[in-house]
Amino acid sequence: MDHIGLFPLFYFPEIGSAWLMGITGTIHILASHTSVGAAILFAFLAHKAYTENRPDLYDYMKRYGMFLLIFSYVIGSITGPGIWYTATAASPRGISALIHNFVWVWATEWVFFVYEVVGVFALIYFIGKIDRKTHLRLTYTFALASVGTLMLIIGIISFMMWPGTDAFYTTGSASDAFFGINTFPHMFLRIGFMVMLSGVIGLLISSALPDQELRKELTRKMGFVSMLGGFLTMFFFMWYVSTLPESAELLLEIYLPDIMATRIWLMVAFTVYFAVAIIFPRMISRPLAATMIAVVLIVGLWPGEKLRESLRKPYVAGRYVYSNQIISRDVPGKGIKGEVEKLARVGFLKASPWVPERLKTITPENKLEAGELLTKRACSNCHSLEPNGKFRPLMAKVAGWDAATIKAFMQNSLATGAITYMPKIDLPDEEFDAMAAWIATQNQQGAK
Amino acid sequence: MDAATLNLLRDSAGVPFYPVVFQGLYVLTWALHAAFVLLALGSMGLSLVGVTQQKTSASWKMLTPHLIQTGKISISVLIVLGVAPLLFTQVIYDPNWYVTNSLSGLLVFAFIYILILGYLTYYWYYYANKKGSSSSLFIGTFSFLVLVVAGVLMHNFAVESIQPDKWMQWYAPNGVVDTSGTNFHIDAIRLAFMVSLAIPVVGIFLQNYSQFLSSRRDFSDEYLTFTNAMGTKIATIGLIISAVLYAVWTFQAGVLLHPLSIATVIGVVVLLLFAMKNSNSYVTTGVLVVVALLISGMRELIKYQIMANLGYDVYGYPMNIDWPTTIMFFSTFLSLGVVGVSFIVTMAWNVGKSEGVFDAENHVPTRKLGKATLYILIAWCAVYMGWGMIVLFKNVLT
Repeated sequence: MDHIGLFPLFYFPEIGSAWLMGITGTIHILASHTSVGAAILFAFLAHKAYTENRPDLYDYMKRYGMFLLIFSYVIGSITGPGIWYTATAASPRGISALIHNFVWVWATEWVFFVYEVVGVFALIYFIGKIDRKTHLRLTYTFALASVGTLMLIIGIISFMMWPGTDAFYTTGSASDAFFGINTFPHMFLRIGFMVMLSGVIGLLISSALPDQELRKELTRKMGFVSMLGGFLTMFFFMWYVSTLPESAELLLEIYLPDIMATRIWLMVAFTVYFAVAIIFPRMISRPLAATMIAVVLIVGLWPGEKLRESLRKPYVAGRYVYSNQIISRDVPGKGIKGEVEKLARVGFLKASPWVPERLKTITPENKLEAGELLTKRACSNCHSLEPNGKFRPLMAKVAGWDAATIKAFMQNSLATGAITYMPKIDLPDEEFDAMAAWIATQNQQGAK
Repeated sequence: MDAATLNLLRDSAGVPFYPVVFQGLYVLTWALHAAFVLLALGSMGLSLVGVTQQKTSASWKMLTPHLIQTGKISISVLIVLGVAPLLFTQVIYDPNWYVTNSLSGLLVFAFIYILILGYLTYYWYYYANKKGSSSSLFIGTFSFLVLVVAGVLMHNFAVESIQPDKWMQWYAPNGVVDTSGTNFHIDAIRLAFMVSLAIPVVGIFLQNYSQFLSSRRDFSDEYLTFTNAMGTKIATIGLIISAVLYAVWTFQAGVLLHPLSIATVIGVVVLLLFAMKNSNSYVTTGVLVVVALLISGMRELIKYQIMANLGYDVYGYPMNIDWPTTIMFFSTFLSLGVVGVSFIVTMAWNVGKSEGVFDAENHVPTRKLGKATLYILIAWCAVYMGWGMIVLFKNVLT
């Protein structure tokens, strides 16, 4: 049988389907990281409120909690599974690889998630309705459960980058996949960021408190919390970077100058912001605090997630599933076979069970149509394909090239796997020919 | 879609445990998820009636915010409970799940944001009603409709997933490939049956609500009689409507006379009798849980039969058993899942029964459950770190 277990193709014009996942993922990270950070913060505040007998802190927790319910537990809890949904549409075999390796890890996270969601309602609505000692115990369990969700998901998203050793490929064990060399650095990096975010959101709440003394005290405290979180983030980021694969280092060399420039500006801006919160707490107003949250989302998280996605290339999971959904190598521990050679032999049109019969064989009449389908199949997980596409536009990268040049590039670079951050795409001559012909027509449209 | 292709679409990594276990977990967790979907739908819908009545009726004035709050919490719970069936179905029915999501990719993406819009506006509705705003009916209706649209999209994914014989035709109508991800197909009878279940669920909820509050002195007998009677009426009418739609749905699917279906029919009849008699709503709820599991089982039976007829055998899915993570899940489920959730539910029950502050520290079951939950979580984190270090040392140093 010539078929490969490919799924139908979904393509979102101008942006590319994979970036839809990036959008949902970025929103989710803001909400979910805030919720874990806030859970830790709540444990700290509840401890303080209980030991120092401070009823005013419970009021603050209630306000913060209501905000958290809407922000994190509406947006966060929907976008979490939302990443799954969009990932299945964009990279079905990538998400399938993760599911079939880590289903029990995800199921365990679900147990934590249930406790967390039921717990957050109890934690907020039972303030003043249960004794304070029990409430304190509840906040401790809530904080641990929230951190537990991070501990569980982090191994999976770290595996998406790479396991770091060959153990998984020979044993097929989920433990060897889960506890890779960048799992712990990644976890501590995110804990730092969560602590910082909890402080940033906390500033929004404290800045609106009517009691001026309490506002001053809590704004200052949130400033310290954010500063600590920011420091931990930067510290663990350096450890994290040192555990990335070589192909990621190559990409980092390309992206790093821009990233570092942005990061330095961000670090300076937020250090100043946190320092102002500590030294001049009354200067932190609600509009300023809201603006800084938007800055975190747009200037911090979105480029950060784009970078993480880029560094994984050409893979989407465990360095054996290419972004174009082809299995790149054997995984003997799981009985998985690489598909690159088979694809080179039979081509996408015959390998995919979803190609209509009339397109299985390229003819002069269907050449451009087949070329378009092949290009979508091979390239659209990373590139937008329209003449003026928004994200990683393919046509801009081959601007001015004719069909022969495009084909030569594909045969000399893609088919040989010479570009380390792109999948090795070796196809029969007639498929390269059709792709090059279609890309050249689009290319010319863009140039007009 | 032939058997060879369906089997080829399975993940070559295999499944990490016996497929029947995932199937059982799917049936169980879908039933839990559906229970809260129906409660959310029913309480939201009834709260809209309440908004129109609360100016002239003291009982509706008291009940409406409680219904809105019930809907609010139910949506959160249905979302979190919905993650589990989503997970388990794509382990054993991955061809169905991933094909459907690709065919309707754009709707999959839209679903997330539609749900967010619906839930955010629901909070708006909650606050608008709390303030007595005249626009609360409009906001509530808008939110309700948006959430219904999200539900219909979810129904669309479920319906598409069990029609493999039509996938190719949907993907490439007349041989022309369509990658827009805009496929949308519904089964009106199945949808109507599922939605209709919201009526008896909210009816039985009202019976529970009335029984639960009967020990509280701050709720009048008149009010409790009002909610109790309304609950019985709604549950009775709703169950009759659902029973008719159930018969049409299963007849259409060719499984009406299957033993599981007959058991479901008996369950619905028993439930109807219990709901009408209404001597103990907690027992009625127990029967409702059994019926929910049977209905979930029926959904699974239909899917299983369709796939088996096409040559796709769930139980024949290749296995690569992974014991460490299997043990992790079941031990967490039985420890944190049972003890932790019992802690919060026990606390919630007693808070609801108390008119002042509930002193949980002096309530032995709550205190013990709380302490046990804390110790379980600490032990869990310690095991995780130890496990991780051993694996890392083994793989990095050897």
